[in-house]
Amino acid sequence: MQLLAYLGRRLLFVAPQLVGILLVSFFLLKLIPGDPAVMMLGPFATDDGLARLRAELGLDRSLLEQFLIYLGNVLQGDLGTSWQTTLPVTTDLAQRFPATLELVTLALLLALAIGVPLGVAGARYKKGLLRTTADYYGLFAGALPDFWFGLVLIFLFYTTWALVPAPLGRLDFVILPPPEITGSLLIDSTLAGNWQALRNAAGHLVLPVLTLGLINAGPILKMTQSTMERMLESDFSRYAEMCGLPERVVARKALRNALPSVVTIVSVLYGFLIGGAVLVEIVFSWGGAGQYAVGGVLNADLNPVMGFVLYSAILSLVIYLIVDLIYFAIDPRTR
Amino acid sequence: MSDRQPQDPVIALEGLTVAFPRYGGEPVRVLKGIDLALAPGEVVGVVGESGSGKTMLARAIMRLVPRPGRIEAGRISFDGRDMGQLDGEALRRLRGRDIAMIIANPRSELDPLETVGQQIGNVLRHHLTLDKPAIRARSLELLRQVSIPDPERRINAYPHELSGGMAQRVVMAIALACQPRFIISDDATSGLDVTVQAQVLELMRKLVVERGTSLLFITRDIGITAHFCDRVAVLFAGEIVEIGPRHAFFADPKHPYAILLLAAYAQNERLRRYWLGDTTAGAAEGPATTGCPFARRCVRAQDRCRTEHPRLEEMAPGHFARCHFPVER
Repeated sequence: MQLLAYLGRRLLFVAPQLVGILLVSFFLLKLIPGDPAVMMLGPFATDDGLARLRAELGLDRSLLEQFLIYLGNVLQGDLGTSWQTTLPVTTDLAQRFPATLELVTLALLLALAIGVPLGVAGARYKKGLLRTTADYYGLFAGALPDFWFGLVLIFLFYTTWALVPAPLGRLDFVILPPPEITGSLLIDSTLAGNWQALRNAAGHLVLPVLTLGLINAGPILKMTQSTMERMLESDFSRYAEMCGLPERVVARKALRNALPSVVTIVSVLYGFLIGGAVLVEIVFSWGGAGQYAVGGVLNADLNPVMGFVLYSAILSLVIYLIVDLIYFAIDPRTR
Repeated sequence: MSDRQPQDPVIALEGLTVAFPRYGGEPVRVLKGIDLALAPGEVVGVVGESGSGKTMLARAIMRLVPRPGRIEAGRISFDGRDMGQLDGEALRRLRGRDIAMIIANPRSELDPLETVGQQIGNVLRHHLTLDKPAIRARSLELLRQVSIPDPERRINAYPHELSGGMAQRVVMAIALACQPRFIISDDATSGLDVTVQAQVLELMRKLVVERGTSLLFITRDIGITAHFCDRVAVLFAGEIVEIGPRHAFFADPKHPYAILLLAAYAQNERLRRYWLGDTTAGAAEGPATTGCPFARRCVRAQDRCRTEHPRLEEMAPGHFARCHFPVER
């Protein structure tokens, strides 16, 4: 009951938050020099043609008016059209956002599977192989650029050993994609019973997921290790030791207490990687949301950028809500 | 020395010394040659100011000296067995089962994510072989023993839902869980209101006396020890400077430091004058000496005190003090 009231209160603030985010990003984007009309018509456009196009796009009106028009359209579910793809932004994003989500979600699961156990081991043992591995892993994962690491993996696994399909998108051209339901190729091909597509999509996912997962395990490891170390030195761990509880029980208590920090870093990484995975997306020609948004920024194609901002904002709000619910479940003090 | 040690002590410390290494120097010794033994059912109060080594004493007995400190010398025997010979697993089984700890600030020392029942149950499960219903029944019984009202409800409470006095009782229940032979109470009543403190102390006294448990009662409040300790020891700079039976100690304190502690605690002027006698309270702190560590703060200090370290000597039967010029009255 208390939980429902809390959820209701949170959802009440979602709409104003989203309008605020749109407002700020709209005006910030307008600060970037570049005229869409010039970009669209090319170098041989006439002044007349440019003026006509600007009027058509509403670029001759005041910024505030432009924003209100945009906001009105958004409320009707119209995010505008991208002049680069000539498709509605909603159509474009419906294809690209799930591509990025699938990639980032799997990568973070991998990162968790590596970072948490290694971080816990690094905190529990003051020396030894596991501790050394944890220390050096954190260092290397922090120092390696992900796009470079992706290229190394491509060279090894595709060029040299030919173990994975070509790093060109999410599916080979010859494979018939499954009907779109969730946008995730793994789920959709499973639902359709299309095992060939499933195997092929999984093969395409291996390298980019490895790239992002191995690199992002670094911060998760560091956060787990440092919080876990603090928890193991805290009063309640010392007391548990004095009560003669076995070391593994003390460690489990410490891990439970360290979990909120791990959840926090994962949620931050999740929100960040939606746009931040762009270099890896480019390396693997993934056709994801980050790539789409960067293309928009470089070509004064405003609508894709705004659409991306809106989608990421909604996603971030959902993630933070889930994080709060997880805190709720873990920590009785928040109840 | 041996004549003041009880015949079959539950716990005996002999020359216990704890040191912390210091970079490019002599290690810092926070406990220096502590000799102390507790008979079954005996209650010994240990009094000292902050930094005198009280908590380190508790942790050293548990063999949980924080890194990089270590037990440099001395022997701790429990039930005649040298604890230094036990491996980690055997020591762990001793902790919480045979030697229990009652701590200060229990609200930060209890795991914030587990209920009272889970925390008591943890100790029961890992030390005794009990099934689930037995653990619950025993936990409720323990909560009742420490006078927690409505234990059926409290067993599901989290530490942050408890008052300080209530949390203190929970910690006592955990200490009593396995019916230990020896309990260390480390400043356990310091954070409580006076009335709650009195209740908790009375409870502790009752439980210890009824079961014949030995209790090492570490505190910075010398007044508390007058209530129920059989013997009182005064700790200063990692050394026992005076130890004696309660009545002898309060009637005739010998060490100038013990006297200053008593005078500081005394609430009425007559008592204060009785203890202080011709000693005046407090002296300006002088330079450190190689002799008695209290010499720099002692009004009675003479040349000998600054050069020669005093030994713990018997002033009256069972009453020892570490002073070249003990106070006579």
